[in-house]
Amino acid sequence: MTFLATRRAVTAGLALSPLFAPSVLRAQGEPIRLGTLMPLTGAGGPYGPSMRKAVEGVVESVNSAGGIGGRRIQLYGEDSQTNPDAAVRAARKLIDVDRVSAIMGTWASAVTTAVAPLAWESRTMLFTVSGADSITQLPHRGYIIRTQPNSTLQITKLSEFLGQQGAKRIFILAAQTPFALSNKEILEREMPKYGGQVLGQTIYDREKTVFRSEVDQALRARPDYIFLNGYTPDVTILLRELFRAGWTGGKVAPAYAINQRLLDSLPADVTNGAVTWAPSPDIESPAFKRLQALLGTNDPDPYSCQTNDHAALAALAIAKAGAATGDAIRENVRKIAQGAGERVTEVTEGLRLLAAGREINYAGASGACDFTDNGDILTCPFRYEQAEGAKLKTIRIS
Amino acid sequence: MLSHVIEELPQLIVNGLVVGTILALPAIGFTAIYAVLRFPNFTVASHATMGAYAGFVANVWLGLPIVPSLALAFIVPALSGLACDEYVLKPLRRTSAATGPMAAAIAAVALTIALENVIRFVFGNDLRGYDLPVYRDWRFDLGFAFLRVGPQQVENAIISVVVMAGVFTFLAFTRTGKMMRAVADNPSLAGIKGINAETVARLASLIGMGLVGVGGMLLGLDTSIDPLTGFRAVLTVFAAAVVGGLGSIPGAVVGAMVVGIGEELSLLVLDASYRTAVGFIAIIVVLTFRPRGILGERAY
Repeated sequence: MTFLATRRAVTAGLALSPLFAPSVLRAQGEPIRLGTLMPLTGAGGPYGPSMRKAVEGVVESVNSAGGIGGRRIQLYGEDSQTNPDAAVRAARKLIDVDRVSAIMGTWASAVTTAVAPLAWESRTMLFTVSGADSITQLPHRGYIIRTQPNSTLQITKLSEFLGQQGAKRIFILAAQTPFALSNKEILEREMPKYGGQVLGQTIYDREKTVFRSEVDQALRARPDYIFLNGYTPDVTILLRELFRAGWTGGKVAPAYAINQRLLDSLPADVTNGAVTWAPSPDIESPAFKRLQALLGTNDPDPYSCQTNDHAALAALAIAKAGAATGDAIRENVRKIAQGAGERVTEVTEGLRLLAAGREINYAGASGACDFTDNGDILTCPFRYEQAEGAKLKTIRIS
Repeated sequence: MLSHVIEELPQLIVNGLVVGTILALPAIGFTAIYAVLRFPNFTVASHATMGAYAGFVANVWLGLPIVPSLALAFIVPALSGLACDEYVLKPLRRTSAATGPMAAAIAAVALTIALENVIRFVFGNDLRGYDLPVYRDWRFDLGFAFLRVGPQQVENAIISVVVMAGVFTFLAFTRTGKMMRAVADNPSLAGIKGINAETVARLASLIGMGLVGVGGMLLGLDTSIDPLTGFRAVLTVFAAAVVGGLGSIPGAVVGAMVVGIGEELSLLVLDASYRTAVGFIAIIVVLTFRPRGILGERAY
């Protein structure tokens, strides 16, 4: 019993200790509940932890500056496992048990598509980094905002790049995803502008471990460029298979598939020449530089930049509304992210201006953060890189 | 259409044979455990991953060549499989003769998730590759079709065949192997003859999970490994064991070949994304027309 009593005393002491911190003392109201649903495991596993840290950075700076209207932000985090089933269970917990007003950072379009109806039905705001066109076409009534450019913009940029590279005959090996078909259609529409064509597409099951026959199908079409539209685990296997099959033509994949982790796990001979493209963070922005310091890296990935902005957008929208509900964020997120207000790149500075009754226009690490009515990002720069000696070299940013 | 089929067929069969040979090892492990312990031990998923990582540690961290690394890929999952059965699954199996095996099977699913996360905790989520050169395939011109075969595939298939030959020799010619078959065939009769069922059960877990571990590493040699390596393969392994006849070791080999080649041949008529369905269709067909599996459930 002595032990129990001691433990209770210690717990109580720990629970009360924040009250002695003066800045926190001011932020005593009912906490504002925000949720993260990130891929801590699965194909998105390499990104989840840093995406989460990018959100925590914003929350800490808001809380240490006294919270929003005297209320602290309380963060609830779940792992989507890059798996729609697991993500739905986790989202239910965030919505029903933790009663969060926003869920931030869903990665992979299949995950976001599965979670989205739970969000709009419960009037919870969903901030996502998924790109499939279909996501913002859902009947979400404004409860979805995404900082990742949609597939149309991404594939249009890819077509332009492939056209400049002189690619004429393209074959697609695509993982089974919500964007596989639409990506092919967009590429089919865009390539003829540059004198190229799409020869065909094989959609594979990315749970498999061997893709020899899929690669054979691609090679039989005699392409000059192969577009690997998958995720890191499957693209690793495909690149190795292509090398073994004697493939010397062009290969291109999204940057989230061919990343440094992939390059470290394969011999350089296999990856040399592979091209990646991705929406680029705004590397000139002060917000980007702060994020570099926070994450301790010179090269924060685009998703961490985006979730950093998710948290800032949610906090500023809540401050603007003076209420911490999903509806409040939905109504106010565009009022603080775009328009004629004063440009801010830091959340506490934005909070201070809002408290002073000023209008603001937030732009963060990921870019301008200006959104269309259906939740898509208006524009963003793209970065093209090429693998050489197990390192990615930037070809250009445009 | 026909010329297209003839052109693709040899390559698909070769690919299927290689996949089947590698899948056969974990399928043998799974079915051997079923034969002796009478419950499906789904911890094969995490033990395959464990084997792959044990081999990775030996190969990349300790710098050992592939064959000694495979020994570690056998030993680590074997010991873990034994400990899991001894301390978690056996007590549950013994709760009742009717519901015990079911409880143990469900607990095995939970246990495999726990073990997978232990691996995740130690090694992280990163993809990892073995320290192996990647060679270009050998190419053969058959006149009507081109065939390509990878040196690594051939090496894996040979390793797998050698291990299988070892298992069959062990079961057929050693005293311990015969004891295992006796318990699988009729536990009470084996008990009357003085065979210690406890010891045999432990051996089954040990050898079974060891084989699963080697299979996991062979899968990884051809691709890359991550904490889900075993989980991705487990449904196909299960399908192979059921199709061949749960509890039959030659059946597991036949089942692995049927599922491996079947999945590849399905590409002639189906999209690659439906390939996973083939294992399940094979289960339905076999259970409908031959409920005990292709070779029945005799242990050997």
